[in-house]
Amino acid sequence: MPGGITTLSSRKQTGIDRVSDWRLLPFGSFPAGENMAIDEAVFRVVGRAGGPPTLRLYGWSSPAVSIGFFQDAAAEIDLAACRRAGVEVVRRPTGGRAVYHDDDLTYAVVAPERNPLFPPSIVGTYQVISRGLVRGLAGLGLAAELSPGDEGSGAGTTGAGAGAERSPGKTAGRLVRTPPAACFAVPSRHELLVAGRKICGSAQVRSRGAFLQQGSLLMSFAPEKTAAVLHLPGGTREERVAALRARATSLYEHLPRSVTREDVCRAVVEAFQELWQVSFLPGGLLPEEEELKNRLFADKYGRTGWNLAGGKGDKGAKEKI
Amino acid sequence: MKVFPDDLLYSREHVWVRVEGDLATIGITDYAQEKLGEVLAVELPEIDAEVERDEPFGAVESSKGTVELISPLTGNVMNVNEDLIDDIGIVNSDPHDTGWMIVVEMHDLDELDDLLDARGYHDFILQETDGD
Repeated sequence: MPGGITTLSSRKQTGIDRVSDWRLLPFGSFPAGENMAIDEAVFRVVGRAGGPPTLRLYGWSSPAVSIGFFQDAAAEIDLAACRRAGVEVVRRPTGGRAVYHDDDLTYAVVAPERNPLFPPSIVGTYQVISRGLVRGLAGLGLAAELSPGDEGSGAGTTGAGAGAERSPGKTAGRLVRTPPAACFAVPSRHELLVAGRKICGSAQVRSRGAFLQQGSLLMSFAPEKTAAVLHLPGGTREERVAALRARATSLYEHLPRSVTREDVCRAVVEAFQELWQVSFLPGGLLPEEEELKNRLFADKYGRTGWNLAGGKGDKGAKEKI
Repeated sequence: MKVFPDDLLYSREHVWVRVEGDLATIGITDYAQEKLGEVLAVELPEIDAEVERDEPFGAVESSKGTVELISPLTGNVMNVNEDLIDDIGIVNSDPHDTGWMIVVEMHDLDELDDLLDARGYHDFILQETDGD
């Protein structure tokens, strides 16, 4: 397994006992299915067994498209183009739109809903995490801001499906309203912007007293590759690429290539530490997380049926987790 | 403050239950839909699927995020609200009635004892601070 996340024998041994202690999983680049299996395993264990609040920063060992939990893969992605280009497809545990992962830095924040750092609301939690990311980017010399819908009260109706064609649909019993395909196609809520263009998109899921927030920070942006694998609305290929280019940006559009991924990780961790007044203690997966990760990969994220069609396309994935 | 119907029972996971014999109709509470905001998608189990108490039986995606639906009861799914296909907005507009989600044939009626009545649920959510 690449990345080498070590296994801890118990939470006690992590030394992560104080409210202000967070676990920092080591950076690694993994296959798409493994990335999602790790994030969900940590999320489940925090929710069920009180695992430590955790930050994970990671990459993708090969290009991939992650689709939102509710999305219909065939409708959102050019699956043949993905196969031709060797792009993996994975279904996220979080909702939201499709994201093309190539040269991006992905984060996962997992914590109990009642962690005192976070207000109980979904939007409030986005704001807390986003402000940490803004501070981290500022430390690198990049001025990012929360998208307008995310700042302030969080009230308003401009949602993840803003501008979406919201025709109700049904895929084999799943009830769906279809949001637009590409996360980076439209600035909306839960995004970080640089000069009005999206640099980071995020999505959150909550269950049994815990939340998982995942987000993708673009180190560099490849609108041609993105347009090649995602079904985007309207116009010619050139027009779709131009639209993507106008709406999204990346770290390396604003910072020199001498800024490494490690620099960004360090800046984000330091910003979270300062802003949240917490300590990040390097740690690995707990044994139950490791076991659950393997089960989630075998039952869900390593299976084409699950990744393309969700539970409706892969009955084996409906096992209790 | 919202009014929660007296003829329903409520879980601490913000799911309501209407009991008729050994059948339980289940949906999300008005409080839950308001916290979620505009519901964009719902995933529900298929008829004959088993649901288990304290386990997810589906999920809701809203304009703010995704929340799993936690079953307050163990049993078999007897019916799923197909009306949601045509108008998912009824989860927001009429959560306690036409926005119902599934009907479950309960395996153990004693599980109902852990649920709250309307007053108990009202008091429970008062303890929750909502920043939305």
